[in-house]
Amino acid sequence: MNDEVRDVREVIREEMLMRDKIVNILRNGSRTVPEIAQILGHPSYEVMYWVMGMRKYGYVSEIGEVTDEGYHKYKAVEKEGN
Amino acid sequence: MNYDILVVGSGIGGMESSLKLGDMGYKVLLVEKEPSVGGKMILLSKVFPTLDCASCISTPKMAATQHHPNVDVMIYSEVEKIKRDGEGRFKVRVRKKPTFVKHSLCTGCRQCEMTCNVAVPDQYNFDLVARRAAHIAFPQAVPKKAVIERQGSSPCLFICPTGVKAHGYVALARTGKYDEAFKLVLEDTPLVGSLGRACFALCEGECTRGSLEGPVSIRRIKRFIADRYYQGHSEPEYKAPEEPNGKKVAIVGSGPAGLTAAFHLARKGYTVKIFEAAARPGGMLRLGIPSYRIPKDVVDRDIKNVTALGVEIETGVRVENLEDLKSQGFEAVFIAAGCQGPAKMGVPGEDLAGVLYGVDFLRRVNLGEAVPLGQRVAVIGGGNVAMDTARSALRLGAREVHVYCLEKEGELFASPEEVEAALHEGVKINHAKGVRSIIGDIPPQEVCPNTSEGTKGSVTGLVTIAVKSLFDENKRFNPTYIDGTEEEAAIDNIIISIGQRAELNFIGGLKQITGPGGRLAVNPDTLATPVPGVFAGGDVVTGPSLIVKAGGQGRRAAFFIDRYLRGEALEGAGFDYRLPVADKEQVIARQQSYKTSVPVEKKEILKEKPADFTEVELPLAEEEAQYSAGRCLDCGVCSQCQQCVATCPANAIDMGMKEETVETEVSSVIVSTGFKLFPADAKPQYGYKKFRNVITGMEMDRLLAPTRPYNTVLRPGDGKVPESIAFILCTGSRDQTVNNPLCSRVCCMYSLKHNQLIMGALPLADVTVYYIDIRAFSKGYEEFYQQTKGMGTNFVKGKVAKVEEKENGNLILHYEDIDNGGKLIQAEHDMVVLSVGLLPNREYMNLFAGEELEADDFFFVKETDEDLNPGKTSIDGVFVAGTASGARDIPDSILHAGAAAAQAAAHVERTRMLK
Repeated sequence: MNDEVRDVREVIREEMLMRDKIVNILRNGSRTVPEIAQILGHPSYEVMYWVMGMRKYGYVSEIGEVTDEGYHKYKAVEKEGN
Repeated sequence: MNYDILVVGSGIGGMESSLKLGDMGYKVLLVEKEPSVGGKMILLSKVFPTLDCASCISTPKMAATQHHPNVDVMIYSEVEKIKRDGEGRFKVRVRKKPTFVKHSLCTGCRQCEMTCNVAVPDQYNFDLVARRAAHIAFPQAVPKKAVIERQGSSPCLFICPTGVKAHGYVALARTGKYDEAFKLVLEDTPLVGSLGRACFALCEGECTRGSLEGPVSIRRIKRFIADRYYQGHSEPEYKAPEEPNGKKVAIVGSGPAGLTAAFHLARKGYTVKIFEAAARPGGMLRLGIPSYRIPKDVVDRDIKNVTALGVEIETGVRVENLEDLKSQGFEAVFIAAGCQGPAKMGVPGEDLAGVLYGVDFLRRVNLGEAVPLGQRVAVIGGGNVAMDTARSALRLGAREVHVYCLEKEGELFASPEEVEAALHEGVKINHAKGVRSIIGDIPPQEVCPNTSEGTKGSVTGLVTIAVKSLFDENKRFNPTYIDGTEEEAAIDNIIISIGQRAELNFIGGLKQITGPGGRLAVNPDTLATPVPGVFAGGDVVTGPSLIVKAGGQGRRAAFFIDRYLRGEALEGAGFDYRLPVADKEQVIARQQSYKTSVPVEKKEILKEKPADFTEVELPLAEEEAQYSAGRCLDCGVCSQCQQCVATCPANAIDMGMKEETVETEVSSVIVSTGFKLFPADAKPQYGYKKFRNVITGMEMDRLLAPTRPYNTVLRPGDGKVPESIAFILCTGSRDQTVNNPLCSRVCCMYSLKHNQLIMGALPLADVTVYYIDIRAFSKGYEEFYQQTKGMGTNFVKGKVAKVEEKENGNLILHYEDIDNGGKLIQAEHDMVVLSVGLLPNREYMNLFAGEELEADDFFFVKETDEDLNPGKTSIDGVFVAGTASGARDIPDSILHAGAAAAQAAAHVERTRMLK
């Protein structure tokens, strides 16, 4: 986790830019945050902002199980919001 | 309306005071700066030591406050000033911030929020997740009404003369909503494709990102969305209104102003006819700009946006007399004839054959007429028309094209991009050169002066002279030359491109509409001429200008013509209200750091001596367009993309809502402005904001709340379910190094609460508390502490010196293990929670005018007689409730607020009795 920490506002602003990319990744199967981060080439903490923002607004949801490494997997869902 | 008591702040203390006073029959005004009542308590998970759900016990009080018949709640409002009058009452001024949502209509459905395209940190989740510019503060908000965060107009949008919502379409493009982006531009102008190519892009000049690595490529994004839309839609998706309103409007000229006015008028139901003198419509878009900049099929498609609404364009017809239009049934006329006539130089030889004018030359080229040129062409002028002329001459086969301009290098009126492209294609620019005369194969004095292109003799050369200065001492354009610097050049054709003028031969007897400079005179606000029903705009009024400015005049004219035809007053109609422009410095200051994000380089196919009129600028690829849009800083926060307006089922969005100031009088004031949390990054050794898995106690409360930002307690750094969580108590409290010697009174207990809740949420997690001592002082607290210990929390007495981060995001704590001899120990945890303390909220200091509300030694509101008169302050009639006067837990805050309410009631009664 030695990535240079970017300003929260900047990272969060990019959720709109990353949304379709993340949905496309998850359409090919559920993924953990670090897995999505690896595919996107962005640090996990940034992806965390995006995935959780998308979860809040109904683009992704978690699946029940936790991986052996301790991560939830997320899947793309029809937009519902909560 | 006046009130008995003003309560400032609607946290648990403010609500309690208000409710008690309301129940006693007093009229209470409760002012809250946030969009919901509830303060911080509603954001908590549970309360200690009972572990009651904070939402469950807060929301009834919130609802009761909102609906109490004796309590008026003003949310999203700030008390600006409180001043005592001569009779002991207080005059209060409150600023009601615009919510941009009509709360009487809003149903709280969140559709606006779901469709909003601007993501910002959610302060109600302490920045752990995003919210939207349009938002309801939190799920249990009372009132459950949306607000739209707008911090002024984004500079790009504010500057646009046509009113195109640049920020809006950029935000839509960023999310891949390209069709919506196109339609947003189309709301204001039909010329989406043309402006995407040839707009001067004032927006980019104002773009805040310009002060970082360069502006957002706003124009090219517009071109991208226009091209994409046009590829999929060869025809507009709409048709003419089925029921026109029966009124006819004539428009003279089909350039940007005329087309834009026609578009807006037709959408309002008018029957619009455009009279165009040229053989093809489009004005300067078609006739003035070469097709290597705007291909004609793009102009045609833009024009379809207008004609699809039923607008008729009659070409090749010159309006001879405006008064005739009235007799044809047109109830209003908009003159947008442009500046089609060339400005002349007035030098000897100007009437020789082979002398052309730029505007005529470009018109003929753009209409596909043959324009034979010699091998050596001179273009006179330094503006964009001169560059277009020179580059077009190259494409027609001229071997040499020389531009002669009065300006020095770098001072041309032409845009730098145009100059650079011209040079790249082989145009030679001769700076600071005036034209003394044009040489022909017969002496100039024998040339007939009344012919436009000359009939006696042809151009053979040009005599230039060096410019000494361009402006006189009054800064008026008045060039002077250096005698003896005359030079002669052999030239076959000269194209004069020094300006254009309006041709007003259509005005007939309406001489009163002419103004200075040979143009039309109008009211600059309404564009109305002195003749009723006759409006004018675009270049024929302003002189040669920008497409986007002409379009803006067309839009303005349509607005006022509509008002005129509906019999409404023109003056003071408030066309195109925009919020004041966002402060760029404030925008930049919102972030502490910026990732470098360079603009996509402009790509043009520029080759020397181009042989055709193929478009030179390459479009952005989709990835480039999205990347470019992603550089936008959301200056005004809300982008004005209008998606919420389109989505709201209650039609509650009101982008024109304005701030209001409310003045009232009260007999007493209760200050209940709460506290601020200690900023954990003020203890840099703990790594808050640097190490992502270091969070604050309030953030842990959010992670444990039913309305949590994540699906469960997760590490913000990577989403891992933490197995080992450490709490560092007294972060920023009882700490002289941060100038706060006070105990927070709550951090021990809320941390114990977190311990118990974590053990419920994550049964396998280990929890360790690093503490100085545990202060469990109130009813049931010690039992709660013992219970927490019994549940398995590991308590380590020792002050943590520093926190380090490992590659995997785990954290190493260095601490002094006091119970084991004071050894320096290291321990590894998945996640660290900093149990931050409470600080005074000093905002109360600015509330009162003329009197000082005194602070105690720690800047909480001073209680002047704390033992016998709790809540009494230094100002008679002003009381303090809850944590505004010092750190307290929730039960103590409620008790204190009750005391303050009693004090305020007593003051009101005492005042009444004295009268």
